Amino acid sequence: MADTEVFSAQLPSTIDRSAIHSPDDAAPVAARTMARRTPGDRIRPLVRHLLHAAATVSRKSIAVVAFLVLWEIAPRVGLVDSTFLVPFSTAVHALWDLARSGQLWDDTRVSLTRSVIGFGIAVGIGVPLGLVIGWYRTVADILNPLLELFRNTAALALLPVFILILGIGETSKISIVVYACTFPILLNTITAVRGVDPTLVKAARSLGLSTPRLFRQVVLPSSVPTILTGIRMAAASSILVLIAAEMVGAKDGLGYLINAAQQNFEIEQMYAGIIAISLIGTIVNALLVRLERRLTRWRPASR
Amino acid sequence: MTTPKLSIERVGKVFEGRSSRVAALDEVTLDVAAGQFLVVVGPSGCGKSTLLDLLAGLTTPTSGRLLVDGAPITGPGLDRGVVFQQYALLPWRTALRNVEFGLEGKGLTRRARTDTARQYLDLVGLSGFADRYPHELSGGMRQRVAIARALAFDPDVLLMDEPFAALDAQTRETLQDELLRIWETTRKTVVFITHGIDEAVYLGQRVAVLTSRPGRIKAVVDIDLGDRRQTEDVRSTPLFAEYRHQIWSELHGEVARAQRSELSAREVVSVG
Repeated sequence: MADTEVFSAQLPSTIDRSAIHSPDDAAPVAARTMARRTPGDRIRPLVRHLLHAAATVSRKSIAVVAFLVLWEIAPRVGLVDSTFLVPFSTAVHALWDLARSGQLWDDTRVSLTRSVIGFGIAVGIGVPLGLVIGWYRTVADILNPLLELFRNTAALALLPVFILILGIGETSKISIVVYACTFPILLNTITAVRGVDPTLVKAARSLGLSTPRLFRQVVLPSSVPTILTGIRMAAASSILVLIAAEMVGAKDGLGYLINAAQQNFEIEQMYAGIIAISLIGTIVNALLVRLERRLTRWRPASR
Repeated sequence: MTTPKLSIERVGKVFEGRSSRVAALDEVTLDVAAGQFLVVVGPSGCGKSTLLDLLAGLTTPTSGRLLVDGAPITGPGLDRGVVFQQYALLPWRTALRNVEFGLEGKGLTRRARTDTARQYLDLVGLSGFADRYPHELSGGMRQRVAIARALAFDPDVLLMDEPFAALDAQTRETLQDELLRIWETTRKTVVFITHGIDEAVYLGQRVAVLTSRPGRIKAVVDIDLGDRRQTEDVRSTPLFAEYRHQIWSELHGEVARAQRSELSAREVVSVG
């Protein structure tokens, strides 16, 4: 009896943790705890745990499932013209064919290479520049109006200029990605540096920290969460801008795949390309969220 | 006469705003002997914190000079440790790593840093909390970590800027006793800023009363309560009440004056 009580007292914390963190770190804990119990004791909590997990999963996926069902049914019952909107299953089938022929992988690799290079360069420019602008008032006063102007000029509006100057090859595509990614990173870094708790800076100064050490040990770590938000925004816009650039002038890449499919009236392939992009975007974002969690573990849980 | 640990000589500090000039301190002169526990008490906005920033070397005086062991203060240094009201702990570091933070400029090995930091966490009674992050600690515990951090690099002087003001009354009293114990153990020179009269009388060997803006020394009161921790509830003794009243009388007019000038100069930035 006492044993059951202890166990049920522990259970809520296990469930809580699986709700906040990834379920895979809670599962071993639950498994280990249960291994010590007699079979009768562990059935009920296990069922409760599974029910809880099932409830969470279904709550989170219900809207997506409903959307996909609607997508599947609408063309089939003639709600929309199935020539232009193929059912979801047909699109998935086309995606599978593209994957098997290796074409999907080729285009994905080309696109990801471009966006990763551009994104990497943008991080390399945005973070250091943001640290300097955020820290030195004068630099900020001089550069802010120009940055404001650039930021409000949609990257895609500059695409013709990039193509004109840099040609139709890789350089212009990577450059437009760099341009689009730099601003979210730069602006978030500036905000982050401005937001560093002044008492931390004061305390660090009172300990005799030099400016470089102050940056490395106080300003940078406390800016990490906000910078990561900028990086996540940048990752999303790197894909967005790249796809658009590939649609305008390219011989390969996912943007090209989608655009070419549309022009050749291979509608299933067009939708397949779109699904591929949304999967990539979702996966990239999920990975970055994971990275963010890992690097900001010291923060109190906000939810 | 031996050189005082700290000398404040005719120090003035004026803050120049865009449209205003605020004199925070004026002609402040004060010596603190080595090993002494000095409390500076004053109404809000009297420049107490400015005085502490000057001693910490975080800002420079407009006039006069400040000395440590007879040598002018040119900037922050590890001969002085500062404890702030808002704890100022690095949230991404554990308690232990926060205490190590001050030791990193000392050129110790990692091993020696950790050992020293543990020793000071023990001193402030946080042995079991080395691996906790600040957000996992209570306010009182955070301030203990901050005290450990300020002591760990073994400064001669401990500068404390209203360190217990944000804590609840119970925790504050506990930490006051802890601080006295630590002071007796380590024999540091302490400059403690507060706006609480009780706190000033309870902690101080000497209490300097500051006037309101601009801050000047109005009186310096020597406190002798015997051994505070021998007497049960020393705050209720007639002697304590007498000291309390003495400082209260010195402060009373100042508080009223501070409030009047606060009302008449709302737009002036607080310099407290």
